[in-house]
Amino acid sequence: MSIFKKIVTYRPSFTVRILTGLISMLILLSVCTFIGLADRTRLNVRATEFDARSIEAGAKVYFDQCARCHGPNGEGVEGLGPALASEQFVGRIELVRDDMQMQSIKVVQPSERIKQIGWSGTLEDYIIAVTEAGIPIKTSNVWDVTHPTFSERLGGPLRGDQIRNVASFIVNYGLNPLPNDQALLPPAPGEGMAPRPTPVPLTAEQEAGKQVYLAKGCAACHAIRGVGAQGALGPNLTRIGSVAEERIASESYKTNLKDQPPATTAAEYIRQSILHPNAYIVAQCPQGPCQAGLMPQNYEQQLTPEELNNLVDYLSSLK
Amino acid sequence: MAFVGQKLVKQIQTTGLKATVAQRLDDAFTRFTAGLSWNDVRGVLRGDPPAKPNPRVKPHTEGFWFHIRPTFYHEAVTTLYPTFRLGLLSAMFFTFEIITGIFLMIFYTPSPTYAYGNMLDILTNVPFGKFMRDLHRLGAEAMVIVVTLHMVRTFVTGSYKKPRQFTWFTGVVLLGVTLFLSFSGYLLPWDQLAFWAVTIGTSMADAVPGIGPELNLLLRGAPDIGAGGLLRFYLFHVVLFPLIGVIFVAVHYYKVVRFGISLPPEMEAIGEDTARKVPPEKRVNFLPDILTNELMYAGVAFAILAISCATWYSAPLEHHADPLVTPNHTVAPWYFYWLQGLLKIPHMIPILPSGIAGEVDRFFANVFGLTPKVFWGVIVGPLLFAILFVVPYIDPNPSRRYGDRKVMLTLGALFAAAIIYLSFAGIPTGVPITGFGYVGGDPASEVGQAFIPDEGIGPVRRLPYEEYVAGKFPVNAQPNTGSAGLDRLIRDIHNDMEARKVRPDPLGKTLPADATGTLEVKQIQSNLRQVIITIDYTDVNGAPTQFKKYTFLHAQSGYAD
Repeated sequence: MSIFKKIVTYRPSFTVRILTGLISMLILLSVCTFIGLADRTRLNVRATEFDARSIEAGAKVYFDQCARCHGPNGEGVEGLGPALASEQFVGRIELVRDDMQMQSIKVVQPSERIKQIGWSGTLEDYIIAVTEAGIPIKTSNVWDVTHPTFSERLGGPLRGDQIRNVASFIVNYGLNPLPNDQALLPPAPGEGMAPRPTPVPLTAEQEAGKQVYLAKGCAACHAIRGVGAQGALGPNLTRIGSVAEERIASESYKTNLKDQPPATTAAEYIRQSILHPNAYIVAQCPQGPCQAGLMPQNYEQQLTPEELNNLVDYLSSLK
Repeated sequence: MAFVGQKLVKQIQTTGLKATVAQRLDDAFTRFTAGLSWNDVRGVLRGDPPAKPNPRVKPHTEGFWFHIRPTFYHEAVTTLYPTFRLGLLSAMFFTFEIITGIFLMIFYTPSPTYAYGNMLDILTNVPFGKFMRDLHRLGAEAMVIVVTLHMVRTFVTGSYKKPRQFTWFTGVVLLGVTLFLSFSGYLLPWDQLAFWAVTIGTSMADAVPGIGPELNLLLRGAPDIGAGGLLRFYLFHVVLFPLIGVIFVAVHYYKVVRFGISLPPEMEAIGEDTARKVPPEKRVNFLPDILTNELMYAGVAFAILAISCATWYSAPLEHHADPLVTPNHTVAPWYFYWLQGLLKIPHMIPILPSGIAGEVDRFFANVFGLTPKVFWGVIVGPLLFAILFVVPYIDPNPSRRYGDRKVMLTLGALFAAAIIYLSFAGIPTGVPITGFGYVGGDPASEVGQAFIPDEGIGPVRRLPYEEYVAGKFPVNAQPNTGSAGLDRLIRDIHNDMEARKVRPDPLGKTLPADATGTLEVKQIQSNLRQVIITIDYTDVNGAPTQFKKYTFLHAQSGYAD
C-alpha cells in the first residue's frame, strides 16, 4: 500500500479522535488566554500606531490643502495665513505613557491663541471647527482673507476623518513648536490695515525695553505683533516707530496738542505719550474712539530713567 | 385527593431523596438530549459499544439537531478519502462566521461617517476585537477555499450524478452565497481596498445591457457607492445572503441525509446508488464515531485558525475610502481575479498571438452591438459560473468511475486551468512568463509603486523611522548616508531601477538609460519625516521628465513590526 493510499484511508481510532480534539481545544483556550492577558497593552500600542498613522495622513492633507496659506513648515504666509506651528498657536505638548503603554498628550503650555479667541474647548477641537466651518467673522482686519470652509458638509473638499487627521498633525507641532519670533503670528485683534513690520535684530537696550513693555503692564492694553501681547484697549504699537514719525508731522497733532511742547522726533513723541498720555489723544482705538484719562499718568514714578530710555528705544525701533 | 407533587412525595418515600433527585435529573437530561441518559452519553464519549436496542438512534428520530444528520455512515466514507470532510468543514466555517460576525456587528455602524472609525475602535479599544476580526476574515477566506474544494471533490468523484443532481445544484448556490457573502463583507471596513474592489465589482452591473443603470442604482443606492451602497451591502452581508445560505444549507443537508454520502466510485456497480443500502457490519454509527470525528475536525480547524490569527495573520485595513483617489493596482478580491482577468482580455490584444479576442470582440460588437465589457464581464463571466449549475444535467454518462469519465474529467481540468490562468491574468503583474494581463504604468512610476505603494506598506515604510537620516541622497550602488538601513534601501532602489533599464516589462517598456534617482528625507516635525523618491529622465520625445512620489513616516507608526 502506497503512503498516499495510507493517508487517504486513515481512520483515526477513538482515542486519537478524543485526544486530538481535547488538545486542539486546549490550544484554542490557551491562545485566547494568551491574547486576553496582554490585550489591554496591545490595544494601547496599536492605538499609538494608528494615532501615528493619522498624523501621517494628516501631513498629506496639510501639504495638499493647508500649506499654501499656512506655509510648508507651519510658519505662516504674509497676507494669507498665520503660523500654525508657532508656540503661540500650538503651545507646548509632551507625550506621556502609562504603565499599560497608553499614550496620551500632556499639555505643558496651553495655546495662547484659543485663549485670545475665547474658545472653551481644546486646541484640537478649535482646529477641527475652523477647518470644517471656517471663521464666520473676521477676527482682524489686517488681511483681506477669510478662512474657507473645508468640510464636505459645507461645500469644502475634506471628509471628517481627513479633518481630524490634519488636526492631529497640527497639534503634533506642539512637541517642538516654532519660537514666536520665527513665526508669522496671527494679526492681533484691532490691528490696522498695516503691513507687517520688518523684523530687525534688537540691541541689548531695546531687548531690555521689550522686557519693560511686557513686565510693566503696557501689554495689557497695547498690542505688538510677534511678542504675544494682545491688549486691545489702547492703540496698537506694532509700527509705532513709523506711526510716531507720521504723527508729529500731522496737522491734527500740531493743533490738538495740549500743555506740552510738540515733539520733534519719534522718540520724543513716544516718551511724551508715556509720561503725559493726555497731551494728545489719538482718534481711533481698537474698540472705538480713544478716551482721555484711560492710561495711567504715573509712569514717571513707575519707571526708572533707564527703563524709560530702553522702552522708548525699543518702541522707536518698531517701524 | 391527588395534588401536583403527590407522585414525587411517593417516590421519595419509597426510594429515598438521593435516588429520587438523581433519577429526576437523569430524566431531564434525557429529555434534553432527546433520548440519551447520562450513562448513554458517557458511553458515547468513552467509546463503549452501544446497548441493545441501541439508544443512540433516538436523538436522530426524536430531536431536531440530529435529524438532519444520518444515523450511520458506510464505513468506506469515514476515511479521509472520498469526502476529505470538506462539506462538514464548509458548514462549520459558516457557523463560525456567524458567531464571529455577531461579535463584530456589536461594534459596527454601516455608515461612511462611522464605519472606518469603528474599525479603528475594534482594533484599538475592543478586547479581543482584532482577534475576532482576523478570525472572521481568515475564516471567510478559508471558507471560500474549502467550499470550492468541496465542489471540486464532488465533481472528481462524480457524486453529482443521479440521484444527487439537485444536491449539486444547491451546492452551487451555496458556492455563490459564499462568494457573495465574502464579497459583500469586503466593503464594510470602508477602506480604500474595500471601496475600489467593490466599485470594480459593481461596475459590472452597470454594464448589463438595457437595465444596467437601474441595476446599478438598485445595488449601490446611488450612481456611486456611498452611504446607500454601504447600507445595502451591509444588509446583503448580514441578512440576505446568510438567510439564503441557511435555507440552502438546510436543503443541502436534507439531501445528504436523504441520499447518503456517495461511496467511492469503484465500490458501486455502474448506474447504481447503494449509499443507503449499508449492510449492518459496514455501518459506522453517528454516535459516537462520526460525532467525535467531527468534533476532532472542528477542534483542529479552529485551533489552526486561532494560532494563525495570534501569530502571522492580520486582516488588512488600508486608508479610509476616498472616492476621489484611485490607488494604483486596484484589484478585486482574489476569488474574483478570474473575472478581472476576463475583463482584461480585450485590452491584451497586442499580446495575444493571433488577436483572437480582438476578432471575437469585433464580431460581437458588429453583430449584437456588445461592448467588450458587456461581452466578457456580463455574458462570459456569469456563463462560466452558470455552467456549474447544469453539469449534472448535461453529463449523460451514468458511470462514476474515473476510467469511464475521461472526457468530463479532462473538461473539468481544462475549466480549472482556465480559471487559474484567468486569475493570474487578473492580478496586476499578469501571468508569469507570458505577461498576459500585466497592467503597469510608466516604468518610473512602477519604481515608485514598488517602494512606496499607494496602499499597503512597502520597503520605504517598512524601514524603521530611526534608520532614516535627513538629507538628499543620490540613488547609486555605493550610497553613503551613515545609516546601514538607508544604504540598503537606496541600493535596492538602484538595483530595481537598473533592472527596469535592461529588462522590458510585458508591454515592452523600459526605464530610460539616463534615469537617475534621488531619495530625500525631510524632517517635518520632531517625530515625523517625509521620504521623497524622485526619478529624472529623458522621455521618448526627448523632454526632461521628473517622477516624484513621497510618503510621511511617523516614529511610532509601527509598519516595521
